[in-house]
Amino acid sequence: MNAVETIELTKTFGEVRALDRVSFAVKEGELFGLLGPNGAGKTTLIRILTTLIPPTSGEARVMGINVVERQAGVREKIGVVAQALTTDLDLTAFENMDIYGRFYSIPKKERRERISYLLGMVGLKERSKDLVATYSGGMRRRLEVARALVHRPAFLILDEPTIGLDPQSRLVVWDMLRKLRQDYNLTILLTTLYMEEAEALCERVAIIDYGKIVALDTVEGLKNGIPEKDTVEIRFKEGVNKEDIVREVGALPFVCLAAWEDEGLRIYTDKGPASIPILLERFKKIGAEVTEVFLKELTLEDVFIRHTGRPIREEEAKKVSFFIGAGIPRRFGR
Amino acid sequence: MIRFLAVVERDLRKFLRNPMVVLVSILMPILYLIILGNSFQGELKNLPLAVVRMDSGPYAEKIMERLRSIEAGPRTVALYYAADQGFAMEGLKKGLFKGVLIIPPDFSRDILHKKTAEAGIFLDNSEPIASNSVRNAVSAAFSGIGSEFAAVREERARPLLRDIEVYKKIDYDQTLIPGVVIMAIFLGAMTTGVFNTVMDKFLGTEESYLMTPITKTDIVMGLLASGLFITTILAFLVLFISSLILGIYLWQVLTWQTVFAIFLVIVLSTLCLQGLLFVMLSRADHPRIVGVFGGFLNVILFFPSGAIYPVESFPWWLKAFSTVNPETYSVHAMRAIFSKGEGLGAVKGDLAFLAVFAFIMVAAATLAYKRRL
Repeated sequence: MNAVETIELTKTFGEVRALDRVSFAVKEGELFGLLGPNGAGKTTLIRILTTLIPPTSGEARVMGINVVERQAGVREKIGVVAQALTTDLDLTAFENMDIYGRFYSIPKKERRERISYLLGMVGLKERSKDLVATYSGGMRRRLEVARALVHRPAFLILDEPTIGLDPQSRLVVWDMLRKLRQDYNLTILLTTLYMEEAEALCERVAIIDYGKIVALDTVEGLKNGIPEKDTVEIRFKEGVNKEDIVREVGALPFVCLAAWEDEGLRIYTDKGPASIPILLERFKKIGAEVTEVFLKELTLEDVFIRHTGRPIREEEAKKVSFFIGAGIPRRFGR
Repeated sequence: MIRFLAVVERDLRKFLRNPMVVLVSILMPILYLIILGNSFQGELKNLPLAVVRMDSGPYAEKIMERLRSIEAGPRTVALYYAADQGFAMEGLKKGLFKGVLIIPPDFSRDILHKKTAEAGIFLDNSEPIASNSVRNAVSAAFSGIGSEFAAVREERARPLLRDIEVYKKIDYDQTLIPGVVIMAIFLGAMTTGVFNTVMDKFLGTEESYLMTPITKTDIVMGLLASGLFITTILAFLVLFISSLILGIYLWQVLTWQTVFAIFLVIVLSTLCLQGLLFVMLSRADHPRIVGVFGGFLNVILFFPSGAIYPVESFPWWLKAFSTVNPETYSVHAMRAIFSKGEGLGAVKGDLAFLAVFAFIMVAAATLAYKRRL
């Protein structure tokens, strides 16, 4: 049985199509990643799978249960770590978990044992009586993971679990997720906008952009799926004409794609190191002075750029409702 | 049940962890009492009246004596003596005086010669309530002046109207206590219940709870129950403290029956207001909306409730609104129990209305609550 199965899942907010006929499946027991930039539709997809919003059309099943027809059944099976930090600041870690456990009707004795174990697992047992308001972002995130597991779900969903965390806290969360996979054989679906996170944790990755899944495979499969295997990154002296350079390079037969990034020009080629002298010759001709040349192995980020035509960091301005902040229900941005 | 109780406990813990909210919820209605009690005061007092006395005769003196006794007794007016009529009128225009009384030079002589004696009162009628009070005080000072010169004859039996108050003497500010308790209930209802669901939404906490098996009924009923618990305690505290401030010792005036009746009024009123607020605001996603709307709702429910002015004196449309305003019944019942010492029997109509209104609102609140983002 698949843990998640969606068929032609679509969600629109007014004229904005947040999800566009998304069909994919997460196998039971796997750690699956949804990779995409902000506004790609990841959170919308998670909210449909967790019964928070209904789809406009299509079908979604979680642990074999239809998310529209049997919402309560879905909620019993899943543990969710939302993108925002959602623990109560006015309660202690223990109280947060205890109340959550009562929402799942777990008997008192069992609940206390589980809370104690889980708080120990995430390294918060010593701070269990402190108000969450005194916790750091990383501690809160660990608490939220522990809280999501209090009812022993078969399927854990994490929506950008390391966003806003410092690198050290991020590594702690990664280790925790790996341990959960090992110890409980949990099915995990996580969304992320960090390439390294998807590459480090996930067995299979779906790249989502503009509400559509543009690629889905194992990390290796995704890398193998694109013809160009090497990346040449070239940095220039300041003041070069970027458009001229892209036009010039794009005309070369062995260049599959050329795109400017923050620090220089990234060129995808199937000719590997042999392409470098030709490229340097061409730049010399047009008067673009090269300062540094790097030859890189293919990464997931390269796969993303190949499929979407832009790096993941290049975020578009988020569309925000005029009414946000006025208390009127939001139509966009959720 | 376990989920419902979890919602209640969570809400109570959060409330108690914010002592400022507790303090403000008690202090605000009491401040209302102090401010309202000292600004309206029922009868107006210390209205500045300038007197230009140009007559030194006995009748002018008699009027002055009476005015001085009004100034010393009910204190309706505060007297200012002016030698110059122009100065007094200038003061009236500047707002220094609410009225100017001019007693002309021949006032006493005209009375003695049985001529029509005229004195003038100039009133600042831009403030009709104040000017009417000044007029009444001055009329009282003038009443009967010169009547001792009427022909002596056998006095006929005159109808006599005795002024008998049904209930023991109650000061104006004491009459505000029932309204202040109802206001405490409103503030309690506004800072619990729906406010907490909107705050949860605003802080993002709601999202995590909506992904659990908790039902819509658990959420709404749990929030209403904790709000009811908090508000009932707050309302009793406000009743106790405000009574104490005004010199009423509740343990001397209330019986267990009246305490039970007050409890019922508080519980039903809280449910009415909480339900109403839930119906209107449960879909808002910013606490600012609750603040603005709540403040507005407080005014439109409180003032037409009869807490300050009698409902009977309202225009027809406001009277019609009062008949569907739950606070009207709450104030009426609280006043009957607290000020008149009546029991449950006297307020059963009010309680019946409140019970029906509360039932409809709580049911509507559950329907109105959206268990989704």
